[in-house]
Amino acid sequence: MANSNLPRRIIKETQRLLSEPAPGISASPSEENMRYFNVMILGPSQSPYEGGVFKLELFLPEEYPMASPKLGRICLDILKDKWSPALQIRTVLLSIQALLSAPNPDDPLSENVAKHWKANEAEAVETAKEWTRLYASGV
Amino acid sequence: MSATDLNLITSFLFVNNSITIFYFGKEGENCKFSPLYPEAHMPVRIPFQEGLGQKFCQPSGTGIDLGFFELDDLSKPSQTEDVFPLVIYVEAGLPTPSSDEPPISQPTSSQSTQAVLVKNNNGFFQAKVIRQILWVEGIRYELRDIYGISNSDETGFNDEEPEKDCVICMSEPKDTAVLPCRHMCMCSECAKELRLQTNKCPICRQPIEELIEIKDVITYKVDLHISMQSLLLHSLSLMDSNSVFTSSNYDRAFTTQNDYGNLRELE
Ligand SMILES: [Zn+2]
Ligand SMILES: [Zn+2]
Repeated sequence: MANSNLPRRIIKETQRLLSEPAPGISASPSEENMRYFNVMILGPSQSPYEGGVFKLELFLPEEYPMASPKLGRICLDILKDKWSPALQIRTVLLSIQALLSAPNPDDPLSENVAKHWKANEAEAVETAKEWTRLYASGV
Repeated sequence: MSATDLNLITSFLFVNNSITIFYFGKEGENCKFSPLYPEAHMPVRIPFQEGLGQKFCQPSGTGIDLGFFELDDLSKPSQTEDVFPLVIYVEAGLPTPSSDEPPISQPTSSQSTQAVLVKNNNGFFQAKVIRQILWVEGIRYELRDIYGISNSDETGFNDEEPEKDCVICMSEPKDTAVLPCRHMCMCSECAKELRLQTNKCPICRQPIEELIEIKDVITYKVDLHISMQSLLLHSLSLMDSNSVFTSSNYDRAFTTQNDYGNLRELE
């Protein structure tokens, strides 16, 4: 597959992700396509997501690192206009982890949840905990 | 208050052959200076012996009465930045008459320090250095800071030295700095590629105006005249380890290291 001419940067980043993983984050490349990563992020302790395991799929497009990694529906400025090729897979995943610690209700994908969060933070935290328990625990 | 209270006598640590102080010095061709107000002050060229760590004191009577000038004019360069209230011009490479060797015809090397004069809280004038220019073998270099040039003294800790590599491909050594923010962060190939995609510096996201390519840092052969070397050493007191003298089109640059022994040319 396209693995044969994988840029050295991607190889280096992958090696480092595997040999020195960031705490609470695991990212492993798929065997068929080394540009495709299975990511797991532990819900940060003392956050509503504590105890949860968040699974993500990360894909490095052909233009990476000039273009950002593709990560599904995550609201993160560095994945859009704030992307810089000096950022890496690791920095992106750390940012997502940080986002789980302190969600940003002003930049939401889900309008409803964001409104809910702003209106009643305590209740939203409970909802997040509930959803974490229901959908993100026990791998 | 008598006029002499305002007389400014310049003193600083000095190095070499001849030194000229210009008040309101105007930069002309080949980094030569001329006084903008010759009637107020005629610059005097003062010869000096070679050697480091000497203290230069302008002979009394050769100063200028700053009372003639507005504080505003003293505290900033002219709008076109070719006139500075204070220019300290150090010249080197003059043939030594006592030398046995035949005089070599060589272009004069010089270093000029361009400063403004600001009044401090005690009412004294202080020189604040704004710009430094080197004139070496017919090329004009201006002192600039470059961020991210790896200092070879600091290496040896880490075999990987990831900071030495281009932040984009992570495999080539970085050799290209971004202007005006002066982040040295890319290899030249990636820099070209980046310019096709974006106009923003990868490190700080400021708009890129220009890219300077600084090829392999090679140890500079110190076979320039000793006087030239001491000239550069003098400038070390005003520059830090991340400063580089670059020519106007950035195709040549000098850097220096703090141990005073290693001049390096970036070419
Ligand atoms: Zn590169
Ligand atoms: Zn920058």
